[in-house]
Amino acid sequence: MTIGMHAPILAIAVPLLGAFALPVLAKVHRSLRDLWAIAVGAFTCAMVITVAVQAFTSGIQVYTLGAASPTDTIASGGFPIRIMLVVDGMSAFMGLISALVGLASLIYAFHFLKEEQGKTLAMTLFFLLWAGMLGMEYTGDMFNFFVFLEVTSIAACALVGYRTWESRPAEAAFKTMAMYTVGGLLVLLAIGILYGEHGALNLAYLSSRIAGSQLDKIALGLLLGGLLMKAGAVPAHMWAPDAYGEAPAQAAIVLVANTQASLYGLWRVLFTLFAGALSAPAVGWLVTSLGVLTLLVAVLMAVIQTDLGRLIAYGAVSQIGYMLLGVGVGLTVLSSRPDFGLVAMQGGIFHMMNDAATIGLLFLAAGVVKRAVGTRDLRALGGLGHDLKWTGGFFFLGAMALAGIPPLNGFASKLLIYESSFRLSPILTAIAVLGSILLLAVFARAFQGAFLGPRLREAKPASLSMLIAMGVLAAVILAMGLVPDFFVEHLVTPAAEALWRGRDLYLAAVLGG
Amino acid sequence: MIGNFPFVVCMILIALGLWALLFRRNLIKLAIGITLIESGVNLFLVTLGYVRAGVAPIYTYAPPGAKMVLPTPQALTLTSIVIGLATTALMLAFAVVIYRHRGTLDARKIRELKG
Amino acid sequence: MRLVTGQGYWSPLVWLALAAGVALLAWAFWSRGQRTYKAGTEQDLPFLSGERAPEGAHVRAPHLYWGFAQALRPVMDWLKAFHSGFLGDYVTWTVILLAVALLVVVLT
Repeated sequence: MTIGMHAPILAIAVPLLGAFALPVLAKVHRSLRDLWAIAVGAFTCAMVITVAVQAFTSGIQVYTLGAASPTDTIASGGFPIRIMLVVDGMSAFMGLISALVGLASLIYAFHFLKEEQGKTLAMTLFFLLWAGMLGMEYTGDMFNFFVFLEVTSIAACALVGYRTWESRPAEAAFKTMAMYTVGGLLVLLAIGILYGEHGALNLAYLSSRIAGSQLDKIALGLLLGGLLMKAGAVPAHMWAPDAYGEAPAQAAIVLVANTQASLYGLWRVLFTLFAGALSAPAVGWLVTSLGVLTLLVAVLMAVIQTDLGRLIAYGAVSQIGYMLLGVGVGLTVLSSRPDFGLVAMQGGIFHMMNDAATIGLLFLAAGVVKRAVGTRDLRALGGLGHDLKWTGGFFFLGAMALAGIPPLNGFASKLLIYESSFRLSPILTAIAVLGSILLLAVFARAFQGAFLGPRLREAKPASLSMLIAMGVLAAVILAMGLVPDFFVEHLVTPAAEALWRGRDLYLAAVLGG
Repeated sequence: MIGNFPFVVCMILIALGLWALLFRRNLIKLAIGITLIESGVNLFLVTLGYVRAGVAPIYTYAPPGAKMVLPTPQALTLTSIVIGLATTALMLAFAVVIYRHRGTLDARKIRELKG
Repeated sequence: MRLVTGQGYWSPLVWLALAAGVALLAWAFWSRGQRTYKAGTEQDLPFLSGERAPEGAHVRAPHLYWGFAQALRPVMDWLKAFHSGFLGDYVTWTVILLAVALLVVVLT
């Protein structure tokens, strides 16, 4: 009974406890709340790293809730009935992304949030969202996935709109909540159909029973619709610029990681749950074409934006297109499994971590700009590079990384995507490269408009905790850019293999071979 | 003897809720539309558990050898109702805040975030 | 130190070494230019497109890529109308996405 065995459930339960205890401790004394936040954050990151190390070295981790021992998956009837957490390579990778983004957001929020503007509230919601994201990524049960999906929806929308003294966040939060609820209900309808047909909610058991009947296909269509909407694929992406643009900076980066967790849910459904029923490459072509459409439409909209936060938000939506493209290419060729399919999936999955770090850095820098000058309108900004030197440098680094300039991490993952999607169809590569070039134009415009030029006004420089948070993300970007092969071999390839070929291992770990 | 009628009712509820979301402008009506969709999905979940000639799944009251309706969908529906409560409360709270700032609940007029 | 893709490999350290070589070449060219400018003459004043601009002139962000946006005006106007900000339109497009996904999955 070591703590390592219980690490998956602790990684979800401790931030949940942290969220509920935080307001109580804040009433006692504010520094008690800060200490508690640091302790919970550090412990959660330690648990996530423990889970990841165990998953990458000793195979799939299974944790059954409520059984005599955590590995007792099958109950007395020969049928898994308890809720279980199943962590394979892909879940562990997504957990690492959530931990990195959560850590950066927590450090940033210490000096960014002001007491009279609801700091306790924002930190409580952040821990709730973090717990929900880790729950979505580690769970092995479909209804549990839905519950954590809704927990993250509620926490995310509350984070978007809690600043009720302005009118725009409330409008964004209403629209986002409506869209998230519709998506969640589509997922619940699909889970209901699957339960009614096969009588189980356990992911592995359902995966072994799904054979491709008409009802299964309807459930797959509903799941695709709901999860693609939550991931922000065009044409259902329009909530994303509102939500990311109006959320405060420390919440916007966690919202991006939340969207990636929904995208992880989509991969889990397509590669593990429905692997037995997807024989034709049609679904793969659907995902690939949506990816290409997303990256083009979002980056074209970003060129004409005047609000810095909304511009970066459209950039985030377009990067989701790259992830859809990469993994979609892998899904299209899944039946014959050529080598370039695995490379495409490595590119898409590596891009998830790159995007989380890079967009995170850009949003944090935009938050510093808002706090320094009071506005994010590009028509009024200029010359901030004189006072905000470090922030300008971080923004430049993030922009170069996102646009895919060597030797940074964006180039490594985009190269993998370009070279493998070329083997499927050269048109995909052409549009993807065009999207990258347009993204470089978008960020050159933003950088020039905000940071370059003569000094026009006084700007308050960033505080230490904000710089440390941005520094953490910048260090990750530089590390993944200069030694990409280390990260791809040890982190990304186990995750890609878990989806590409790992379904049998997943079923064996839960159902006992 | 009523066959698939409950499922048809569920689909009608969901369709009504979607129609309200697509074609109505008042923010409260949009929230009601979402509540209708939730009710339809909850009804669908409860209906899934029906076993013909089954009794309520209370272990101590059931006659020996009786068939019980499935209890799991009832638990799922309870969870879903609570989640629906939280989302509706949040949406209505934001509708109140929007009304306080803009003085209107017409979704076509509350469009600061566009383009 | 090499990331193996399907068709070859990418090595950021080799790239950095080559980039350093190119930067050295660029510095060699730059160091042979004129270092000074005459302060206090017209070389000091801000000019925008050949016109004398006031102090503190700054090419703001909406002016960049204006030509690109104007040339693609029909596409941009259609995209801006597409992102209307109205919740009913968001749900309409979600329903269309759902219908396309259902058709693709059920018919194949």
